Amino acid sequence: MILNSVEVMFGGQAGDGSLTTGDLIAGVFKRMGLEVYTYKDFPSRIRGGHTNYVIRAGEHHDYGMADAVDGLVAFDLEAVEAHIEEMRPGGFVIFDNTSETIPDDVRRSDVTWYEVPLGKIAKVDLGLELVRNTISLGVLGALIGMDPEIIRHDVRGVYQRKGEKVVDLNMRAIEAGENYVLEHFGDRPSGYGLVAGADGDRLIMMGNDAISYGALVAGCRFMAGYPITPATDILEWMSKQLPKFGGVVVQAEDELAAITMTLGAAFAGVRAMTATSGPGQALMTEAIGLAGVLEIPVVVVECARTGPSTGMPTKTEQSNLNHLIYSGHGEIPRVILAPGTVRESFELTVAAFNLAERYQLPVFVLTEQALCQSKATLAPLDIDKVKIDRGKLIDDGEVVFGEYKRFAFTEDGVSPRVIPGVPGGMHLAPGSEHNDAGVITENPRNRARMMEKRMGKLESMRPELPRAVLHGIADADIGIIGFGANRGPIAEAVQRLAAGGVLTRFLQLRTLWPFPDDDIKEFVRGAQHVFVVENNYTGQVMQLIRAVVGPLDALHGLRKYDGRPFRPIEIIEPIRQMAEVAQDDTAEVI
Amino acid sequence: MSVTMSPKDFATATPSWWCPGCGDFGVLSALKQALAELGKQPKDVAFISGIGCSGKISGYIHSYAFHGVHGRSLPVATAVKLANRDLTVIAAGGDGDGYAIGAGHFVHAVRRNPDVTYIVMDNQTYGLTKGQSSPTSATGYVASVSPDGNPDTPLNGLALALAAGATFLARGFSAQPKQMVAMIKAAIEHRGFSIVEVMSPCVTYNKINTYAWFKENTEDLTVRDGYAPNDRLAAFEALTREGDIPLGIIYKEERPTFEDRTGLPEAPIARLDLHPPREEFASIQAAYR
Repeated sequence: MILNSVEVMFGGQAGDGSLTTGDLIAGVFKRMGLEVYTYKDFPSRIRGGHTNYVIRAGEHHDYGMADAVDGLVAFDLEAVEAHIEEMRPGGFVIFDNTSETIPDDVRRSDVTWYEVPLGKIAKVDLGLELVRNTISLGVLGALIGMDPEIIRHDVRGVYQRKGEKVVDLNMRAIEAGENYVLEHFGDRPSGYGLVAGADGDRLIMMGNDAISYGALVAGCRFMAGYPITPATDILEWMSKQLPKFGGVVVQAEDELAAITMTLGAAFAGVRAMTATSGPGQALMTEAIGLAGVLEIPVVVVECARTGPSTGMPTKTEQSNLNHLIYSGHGEIPRVILAPGTVRESFELTVAAFNLAERYQLPVFVLTEQALCQSKATLAPLDIDKVKIDRGKLIDDGEVVFGEYKRFAFTEDGVSPRVIPGVPGGMHLAPGSEHNDAGVITENPRNRARMMEKRMGKLESMRPELPRAVLHGIADADIGIIGFGANRGPIAEAVQRLAAGGVLTRFLQLRTLWPFPDDDIKEFVRGAQHVFVVENNYTGQVMQLIRAVVGPLDALHGLRKYDGRPFRPIEIIEPIRQMAEVAQDDTAEVI
Repeated sequence: MSVTMSPKDFATATPSWWCPGCGDFGVLSALKQALAELGKQPKDVAFISGIGCSGKISGYIHSYAFHGVHGRSLPVATAVKLANRDLTVIAAGGDGDGYAIGAGHFVHAVRRNPDVTYIVMDNQTYGLTKGQSSPTSATGYVASVSPDGNPDTPLNGLALALAAGATFLARGFSAQPKQMVAMIKAAIEHRGFSIVEVMSPCVTYNKINTYAWFKENTEDLTVRDGYAPNDRLAAFEALTREGDIPLGIIYKEERPTFEDRTGLPEAPIARLDLHPPREEFASIQAAYR
């Protein structure tokens, strides 16, 4: 029996309630003391179209996807057909056979089939077809040992606001599911079992929620945004919370307005942000350049999705890194931070606001669908550790007009920044090249000096940038480099490879720009093989590494660009194969 | 506290880049006069401009001035006002900046009604790129990119704004400074989004819409019998009928501002204490347990 580890996939049609039930399952797993990761794979439409929700639970921290699906809860044949190949041998399928039957060519013999007329029970016995989701929860719970009391507690929590009648109906639905298992499958156990432990003081939070919360705690009081998947959650979250703290959220008419509003608020002295995805980021490009030359601190969250153009709006990808580094005419200093976990989504957002104001430039928080719309369990976030550092901000008192220079040349390239209302600080902030006082000039010496002042910030800030994190065995011959949502599957691959005798180390990049040249050099030095894992076609991180260490034969790209996150086995297998070849080579030499 | 201010208090040391005789000079001096007469302090004025000849005006008004990207002065100005409602926020730009590249923002700024004044300096041409047709150029206007005549129908910016829900519309002529000062003052004092469109001749490229042409083809609405600027239909009629271009305050109504409707606190957001009691943050986190 496989204990305390399971990946459940809930599959059906969009709009049939499977996302709510997925959230419920995740919550129950968490309350049973397990660590949880969720992944939403839904279509870009509101009603209809195959959708699924993956919930992984087990005893390790910071999961990504598992190698395979253990239990598939399928509300229709389409869900089975779409995912049967992803099933682990020995896994199981719960299938609603009310109106469809499983064709023989789909019916894998190495998984257990639990066919339950969910729709029929819901409609005939309980009088409401909608509750088939809750019945399936009862079935699943009984098959894998989810705590029945916790299930009831959480279901009650979700439906309470709809009244006691609805709660009661759902309670009976759970029971109907449990009874069906007892009566029909008593002799066919699933092979999975969960043991409840203490929940302890933990959270279950989505990446986008952690970014929003981080922004709020870091002092962000203005957000402008335009709805776009998968970033809209942030706009919605901030709309609810910012007004309570005296702030404001504007739903802009487009991303051109969203970013220029963000600049306006920041110019006036408010910590300000926007959040978008690839298409919106493209529209923001010109104004990001303006933020660079006007030295205005703005935080731009990019929740990346599959491009180009509309691409696959609800799917994950890491193909926008080059866009964030290079987009825009002319050259500006900019920072790109990439969290790898929900906790880091909070921490790096806080860091982004401090860096933006300390160095007066645009800072991107780059995340992706497989992290920003995924939930994970984590220990509480320590808000006492959050320090707000506004850098050289002058928002009080006064300055002497004529002496004060908004763009003064300084050692670290950062000039004292006044905000409107401060006596004596009047100046022009022009997108045109300007002198230290803000007067427009095309003087060549001034131009060169201004470029050096602005771009020099990239060097003076280096000590303050979030460092890459080293996982695994420090002196292992095989290295892995990756970022973002791939942290979960790579870290898991490192552990499992080690258990199989293949020692590796993993450098998780958290600052992607300015690129951590020294950490890369140090990491690559001495490695026989370095695998660069990323979700894009061209190997954008690989190209950056090559620019630092040259086109080494030891560099291998491991790329995925089908819109879905890596499963650990997809990282483990190529590395294991390479390690075996390497061992053979060694044998020959000896 | 009232302080006597002079237009000179709003002058900068930066020499103007405009051509001698440019209509924008009239707008600039009327603005400085209006700000002085209202007793504004330069430190409390945020002046946001777009790109083009007229966009350069932000460099000539002693204030907290922001010369941003083409067509985006209104979102910047709206956000500055939200960030600090104590400021007098003025946006300015030309017909290309406001009615072409920035047309989308124009309509939405009108809908939102922030307490911002927007000066559109309309010269019916693209001056800084040497005389191409603009959104307000007459059909048939011959220019470098329309050698056979501008094929487009000119945009009626004020009528567009009226349809979008404008709360203050005025039109001036840069050769009539007294009227301009009065309407800019009224615009700044208006609680809401106020638009002052100024006919501002381009003496270098537009040889049709000259000072003489405007003198011939404008009509002062304030002297028209019975015209009251509180009737939306009358305003629409005045703005769209054939004949002389109407000048004066064309329409005015009171409506809650964007700041009111977004529930902004009275004190500027820019002055907020960013360290509220930590329990307020902790309770948000508790919902994720």
